[in-house]
Order: sequence, then structure tokens, then C-alpha cells
Amino acid sequence: MPAGPLETGARRRLPGNLVAGAAVVLAIALAALVGPWVAPFPYDEFHIRDRLQAPNALYWFGTDEYGRDVFSRVLVGSRLSLLLGVAATAVSLVGGVALGLAAGFFRGRIDEWLMRLMDLLMSFPPVILGLLILAVTPPSLWKTVLAVGIVYIPAIVRVTRSVTLELAQEEFILAARARGESAGYILFREILPNAWPPIIVEASLRVTFAILLGAALSFLGMGAQPPSSDWGLMISEARSYLDQAWWMAVFPGLVMCLTVVGINLLGDGLREWLDPRLRHGGA
Amino acid sequence: MVLYTLRRLVLIVLLLGVMSVLLFAITQVLPGNVARMILGQFATPDAIEAVETRLGLKDPLVIQYGRWFFGIVRGDFGQSLIMERPIGPVLAEALGRSAVLAALSFVLVASVGILLGVIAAVRKNRPIDHAVSVFSYLGISVPEFFWGIAFILVFARWLGWLPSAGYSPIGEGFGNWFARLIGPTLTLTFTLIAHVSRLTRSSMLETLRSRYVLAARAKGLPERVILFRHALRNALLPTITVLAIDVGWLFGGIVVVETVFAFPGLGRLVAFAIERRDLPLIQATLLVITAVYCLANLAADLLYAALNPRIRYARRTS
Amino acid sequence: MRKATAVFLVLLLGLFFLPRLEAAGGHLKVALTANLNTLDPAKAKSGDEYLYMFMVFNALTRIAPDMSVQPDLAERWEASPDLKTWTFHLRKGVRFHHGRELDSEDVKATIERIQDKATGSTARVNFLMVEKIEAPDRYTVKFTLSLPYAAFPEILGERQARVVPKERIAELPTQPVGTGPFRFKSFKPGDRVELVKNPDYFETGLPRLDAVTLLVIPESATRIAALETGEVHAVWKLPLEAIDRLKKHPQVVVDEVATSSWDGIIMHNRMAPFDNPKVRKAVFLAIDKAQAAEIALFGHGSPTLTPIPPSHPFFNESIPLKADPAAAKKLLAEAGLPNGFETTLMVPEGRPERERLGLAVRDMLKAVGVKVNIQRVPWDKFLADVEGKAAFSINGFFSRPTVDTSLYPWYHSSGSWNTGLWHYKNERVDRILDTARQTASVEERRKLYRELQQVVAEDPPSVVPYVVNQVDGFRKEVKGLRSNPMLWFDVRQVTLE
Repeated sequence: MPAGPLETGARRRLPGNLVAGAAVVLAIALAALVGPWVAPFPYDEFHIRDRLQAPNALYWFGTDEYGRDVFSRVLVGSRLSLLLGVAATAVSLVGGVALGLAAGFFRGRIDEWLMRLMDLLMSFPPVILGLLILAVTPPSLWKTVLAVGIVYIPAIVRVTRSVTLELAQEEFILAARARGESAGYILFREILPNAWPPIIVEASLRVTFAILLGAALSFLGMGAQPPSSDWGLMISEARSYLDQAWWMAVFPGLVMCLTVVGINLLGDGLREWLDPRLRHGGA
Repeated sequence: MVLYTLRRLVLIVLLLGVMSVLLFAITQVLPGNVARMILGQFATPDAIEAVETRLGLKDPLVIQYGRWFFGIVRGDFGQSLIMERPIGPVLAEALGRSAVLAALSFVLVASVGILLGVIAAVRKNRPIDHAVSVFSYLGISVPEFFWGIAFILVFARWLGWLPSAGYSPIGEGFGNWFARLIGPTLTLTFTLIAHVSRLTRSSMLETLRSRYVLAARAKGLPERVILFRHALRNALLPTITVLAIDVGWLFGGIVVVETVFAFPGLGRLVAFAIERRDLPLIQATLLVITAVYCLANLAADLLYAALNPRIRYARRTS
Repeated sequence: MRKATAVFLVLLLGLFFLPRLEAAGGHLKVALTANLNTLDPAKAKSGDEYLYMFMVFNALTRIAPDMSVQPDLAERWEASPDLKTWTFHLRKGVRFHHGRELDSEDVKATIERIQDKATGSTARVNFLMVEKIEAPDRYTVKFTLSLPYAAFPEILGERQARVVPKERIAELPTQPVGTGPFRFKSFKPGDRVELVKNPDYFETGLPRLDAVTLLVIPESATRIAALETGEVHAVWKLPLEAIDRLKKHPQVVVDEVATSSWDGIIMHNRMAPFDNPKVRKAVFLAIDKAQAAEIALFGHGSPTLTPIPPSHPFFNESIPLKADPAAAKKLLAEAGLPNGFETTLMVPEGRPERERLGLAVRDMLKAVGVKVNIQRVPWDKFLADVEGKAAFSINGFFSRPTVDTSLYPWYHSSGSWNTGLWHYKNERVDRILDTARQTASVEERRKLYRELQQVVAEDPPSVVPYVVNQVDGFRKEVKGLRSNPMLWFDVRQVTLE
């Protein structure tokens, strides 16, 4: 960064987008945690006489076609949507990091085969792969999580592999090898701790992709099941009411948008904060 | 370069071979009895048996696979079980329509995305940068089907500028054909553009800080030359990789967007096939998608090499 | 950069100079909800397919909007006194679209093909009673039935019983040929079916349109937008939630007609806990039929007890339709389930009314302590894995032409839908149904069917909470098109202004 006086002074401060992103994500995580207890109505309670009401003092975000309170549903749904995003990313992290480390560290034939396998997995567009997986078994939240998680394994593998390749040439790794440390030790004690930053950044972005993919699967009829108030499902169910009850789609959409932007800001911020080149004033 | 391309093409053919086995295996696992799907809920056991014999579903799997595989090699994709017509022409037609849609969106995503990214980088932290951020975040953070329906409501219902949906063959007038492409294309573009513009912005910022840009500035070169001759060329490298990944995303978007806009393309055909368990159709469509996707990746890699002379593909090291 | 901006602006500007939609001459455009699975009428299963079939083919008889039977390809018919032998006389000079004249052998081939198991026609069950089909001359067909059946002409007007040319059966999926007012021109899977006027149609002066195009538009919001902008002239089966708003549109007519199509809360009578009649009755009592109709149909339907609609003279209005949660709880306790139970309700995907009914059931059963988990299943998987196999599901069925065809298959222990759906057995119901279908007196039949409703309210096989109205949307310029209680469009008289 062309170091102006302001930048030098701010060097140790956290980047603004990191703070903003973290604030949004924390707020939503909090909502996910306490949602069911603070929601004014149960998420699945019908008020048939109040169906399709515009936002008002009683129903802050209006009501849907069953007279359910959209505000309560969005609040309670934050848990599901976050869970989908985070759990799916966890699945791809567990699979992807292990495979990526192996590919980057052992190189040679293992690397070649693993990467070809990943190419194979990546040559299915995510939605199609998700559809296929869910077509084989009856849909449920955890299967959606699994399907979405598997879809994003190759991306994590690629990132992990490239960091590992880079790190494996570093002196302290070469030294560890010279000491005759076991591969497991080097991988998990030496490489992994140093490889985290780019993986975390990639993973944080995957959370948003996972939420969106979950929504697309809901639209195509797989994924979350009613009366669940998963945001993707809410927007998908609200789409035929878009011109007569915009609030049904717009509020969950807005919150979803906020979440995605928050996580992206957090990811970008993390990247800036963790990347030594950016931290120390550019290359 | 030529050698590398050839090697990749051979790999793609091999990959497609593996894929065909895999697809065949997956379709064997799908629930629902094919004969029952065709006959409906009142099928009696002997009727199911008759259909299974007619379709050769009782032969060993290897023979079934062989029949299918050599059919495809000869250009025969078999017969759709549900529609009872040859798959080849249906598939070709759908692929053609989707290809136009995908190509248009891809060009728009690439050009507008890079443009927005550059603008945002050059005007970092100014209002226009923030506006670009908001625009691209809006597109990426709400599902495609929402934007698709919103687009129809605004441009077809309220403003009346565009037809709401469907497809009109180009033979029936260029205007009609083009008008029906606008909605799906813009929706796809909008939902994909964030990826490209964000990445271009960040890599552009990085190159703008690099030594040779500073050197070029010191030499007193005009800003436009610096931007486009020096900075952009380097900043584009990571963007191209992302664009290749975007082809996959584009396809996911196409499934959804084609449903919303009633656009009879490959995405709808795949969804139809999976929904109705039309096994030969599932196999054929997915194989074609895989092929397209592999070729797109190859194209991106070649472009990458063309732009970056430092990479020597013939002896790939990493 | 400036150049790129300019290109982008030009593209944007291009939006404003697009040609406006062309005015339709005599070319009717109708929006369908889903792709056609088949062009072969014997194999058709969906409402979208029926729409196309009624334009390209004819049957021997036609069910009129008032549910009476009218001549179609048969100009007259007579039955033997025991109602077991039926003779139909074909209209002379009717030509198929490929030029050959229709004759009795075509009718024979058509019905025998439906009877053949290998064809896989859903209408096969209707023709099980046909023992023999003869074609004594070119214009006469004689059916011999295994039992006396007064409503046989109605059966021949059923959807799948479209007469096809015997030498063109193999081409039906790709180049269908019929006798109907419109000829098949092309089918682009996933996109459209194009039909053109049949100039040699046997009803002189008809059809009045030059062509009909059926456009597949799966997304309901898009379908409605296409109707509002005038890109299509008609939408078959409007999404019920959009009706009130569409009624205010100045260019759109909403036409609603009561039908005997119904949705059902299906309980498998041989699977726990629904194998216990008390549990079934408890569910029946826990459901408020009027509220179910309000939730699922936005009021565009009528609460009922069986597929007999409340508007029908045979409807038994003395049976309460309101929920009685206290009685339901008592019955559950008697069945050994004082704390209720938990169950999974399978709901077909993409049918919003049935999805809403599923959620209404979940809500109403919660009040009597039954916990319902909902699972949406794609339609074809539903047919393969759920229908007749799941313990608890939501399903629905189209109008049938007569009370007998609406009830017998579901409530008689040998009925085709009964054995394929809920496995109900009640000897009194069997007796009533067998007597009623052979009873000529309307008053006698009314008494029998009213008694039947009483019996099935006491021992319900499942719950049929309401019958659904058929609601279609047309542009004002379409003249002569009406919603039809049998859920198809009769476009012969239709014109465009």
C-alpha cells in the first residue's frame, strides 16, 4: 500500500470491513442463538384471519399465506440458514483440507490422482450434483448439508493444496524433514497451522455459496421442507406472491443479503488482515 | 502449446469415458423402477416385466452399458423413456439455445464485471466504488429465482418493455428472439457479476501497488496506458481462473433461470430428466454438460497461458 | 473503458427499441403448466396433456359442461335391456388428419389397446368390464360387458379413450394423427406444441381459429405475467392465490366453475396407526373441512365428505363438516393413543393447494396431540414410491363423469383406486355401491348415496375435505372459451377479436 501517514498509523488497527462484517455476522449468530425465545410468535402458528397482511404493529414483517408472522419466521430461520452454511462448509473443510494437504505434501501420483478426481467432481455444476444426490435419497436438512458440502470439497482442496505446495518449500519444513519428523507431524503441526489463513478466507466465502445453493435446491423442490422457515425456502415459497405480498420475499431476502454481505466483508477483512503483504504495506 | 492442448484433449476424452461409467452407475442407483415410471401407478407385474424386456433392462449391466456407450460413440444417444422420441435432436436443440444464453451472459459477466472491477479499483473508497460493491453484492446475495421473477414483474408486467418469458426461434424474427433472451441473460449476469468484479478489483489494487506500475508512473506514462497496457493485463490472470469456475456456476444458474423464464434449454431438460427419472435422458444431458464444462476449463487455461508468458504448460511443474 | 461503457449503453438502449408483440390473428396461445410427457392419448396422465388431446382427437362420446353425454364420433347408440350389450353407430365421412376415413376397426383397435396391460394406460381399469368388442360393419361397434352398466357411454367419453388410427399407433409419440378440430404440427419438448386448423373437420364451420399454440410455462408467476401482458390468451388452471388480484385486471376474465375434483388426506388402512378405524375417525373429526378449503384453496372450492360435491342433489347435508377436537381426542384415547402420535405426511411437490392442505392438516392435528412432519416429494417419485405405499399422504384426483365413476373405484373393496391407494373394506359400502350402479331410479340412487355418505362418515377410509373449483384466466379478446368442470378447454367455437 503506498504508505500515507494515515495508513501507517492504522497499520495495527483491524480493517474496517473486518469489523463491520464481524458485527453483522455476530448479530445474526445471536439471532440464531436466541431466535426461538424472543420471536413474538411460534414460526409455524397459523392466523388464518390475518393471512397476507402488510407489515404492521402486530406483525412487523407482515404475514404469509397462512397468516404466519414473517418476522418470527425470519428470526427462527436464521438458525437453519446459518447452520446450513456453516455445517456444509465444515463438511467441505474436513474433506477438502485433508485431501489438499495430502495432495500438496506427497505430490507425485497421489497428487495427480486426487486432482483428477477433483476435476471429475468439479465437472458437475453444483446444482446438478446437488440435485442428483438429493434425487437418490429423500431430502432433509442434513442431507442438503452433506450434498452442498461435498459439492464444495474441490474448491477447498485446491486452495489447501496450493498453500501446502508453497509451504513445503519453506525452510522450517525442510528443516523438520531433515530432522526426520513423521509426515503426520509435519502436516498437522507444521504446515496446517501456517496454512489456515487462506483456507479460512476461502471457507468464509463458501458459507455464503452454501446458503445460496441451499436456496436454489429449495427452489427446485429438494432441500428444506415446509413448514421450515429456512430463508431460501421462504423466498422460494413467497415467489408466487411477489406482486401481492412483497414482504413475504423481501424480508427474508434482505436478511439473507445482509448475511452474505456480512460474511463476505468478514472474509475480505480477514484476507487483508492475515495477508502479510497487505499488512506490511504492500509488495 | 499444441502438445499441451492435445494432451488435455486426450485427458478430457478419458475423463468423459470415466464419467460415462459413473453416470451409468448413478442412474442405476436412482430410486423408482423405470418400467413403472413409464406405465404409471396401475402397472401390473407382468406389464412391468413386458416393458423391461422390451427395453433390455433385464440384460446384465455390462451389456446395457456397452450398448449405451457404443450408441453414443456412433452419435446415438438413445430414446427418451418418457417422451418416446430420440434424444439426439432434442438435446441438440436445447444445447443450442442454452449455449446462446450462456455465451451472452458469459460475455456480459466478463466484460461488465472486469469493467466494474477496474472502475472500483481506480476510484477506491469513492462513492462509485461503494455503488459497485452494493450492486454486485445485491446480485450475489439473493437467489437467482428472486431476481428473475422481480425482473419479469418490473420489465414485463409494470413497464411492458419486454415479453415476460418463453422462447421464440430466430427464424421468426430477430427482435422476438433477442427480446426473450434479455431477461434470462441479465438475470444470470447480475447474479454472477460479483464474483468477477470483486476479484478484478482486488487484483487490480494489488497490481496498481506493484513496482512496475510505480515505475511506469515514474516514467510519466499517461494513466490510461498504465491502467490498460500494464496493470489490467496482470490483474486479469486470477480473474480468468474464476471465469472458468463461473462456467459451472453459470450452468447452475441456467437450471433455475430457465425454469423462471420458461426458456426451453439444456437446464430445463436436465431438471425434467432428473424429475421424471428418464434415465437415458439423464445420462445424455449430464455427459454433454460435463463435456462442455471440460472444454470451458481448457479454454480458460489456454487463455491464461496466452496472457501469461511465464507459464510453460508443456512442462508443468506444479 | 469509454468504448466498453458505450457498448453497454447501446445494449441497454436496445431494450427500448424492441418490436412490440404482434397482434394475434386467429391464433390462440394457451399457457401450460408443465412439459407434456407424451403425445399418445392412451398414456396421458396430466391435465396439460388432456388439453392437447381434446384438440387433436375425438372419442365416441363427449361429456358436456352440464355433465350430460353428447354424441361425438358416435352419432347414436343403444343398449340391450340388461344394459350389457351396447351398440354404437359411427358418424359417416369422418376423416383422420392423414386422409383416411374413420371406421369401426379403429375404435376396436383403440379400446383394445387401452385394455392391453403392455400399453400402460391409466384408463385400463374403466374397460375391464368390456368382454368383447365387435365391428360388424364399417360404421357399427358392439361392446359386450361382463356386468350391467348404465353409464357406459360416459366411460367412452373418458380422457384417454380418444380414437386413434389403427395403422398409425407407432407414430403416436412423434407424429400423432387424430380426427379432431386441430392437426398436430410440431412438438418442441419443454417449449411448445403447435397445432393448426383441420379444414376437413367433420363439424362444418368449425373450428373457427386458424391455429393453437400451447406454451409450457412452469413458473406460476411467469404464467400470470404472460397473461397480463397478452403474450398468451389463456391460462389453464390459474394458481388460486392469484385469482383475486387477477379479477381486477381490465384485460383479463377469470372464469370459475365448480367441479368434483378433490384433494384427499390419504390414510393407508393397513398401516399403523391408521389400520385402527378409531384413529381414522379421529383424524376425520380433527379436520375442519371448511377451514381446510379456506387455507388450501383461498375459498375457491367447497367443503364436502366424499367426491360428491355439496352442489350435487345426492349430497348429504345432515353430516357435520366442522371439526370436533374433543371427540377426536376421546377416540384417540380409546384407540390406546391418549398422547397422540407422531407421523410423516408425504406431500407432492409443486402442487401448491395440496402443499397448503398438508400444512393445514399439520396444524389441525396438532390440536389433538398428533405431531405431523411434512415431506415434499417430486411428483413422479410420489407416484412411484408414495401413492398406495405411504401410511399418510396428500393426494388429489380429477373429476369423473358420473357419481358411480367418482365413488366406486375408491370406496368399493374391489375398486381399482381403493386397492391402489388406501385399502378400505366396508361391506355395507360395497353393497350400496353395487346396488346403486344397477339402479335406474334417480330417487332410489339418491337415497343409496346419501346412506353411503353416512356410513363413510362413521367409518372413514380417509378424509376428502373439499372439492376444488376449476379457475381459468382468459384475455378479453378471447370469445367463446369457458372453464369446464371436466377440466379441459373446448376450443371449437372460440374466436379472437
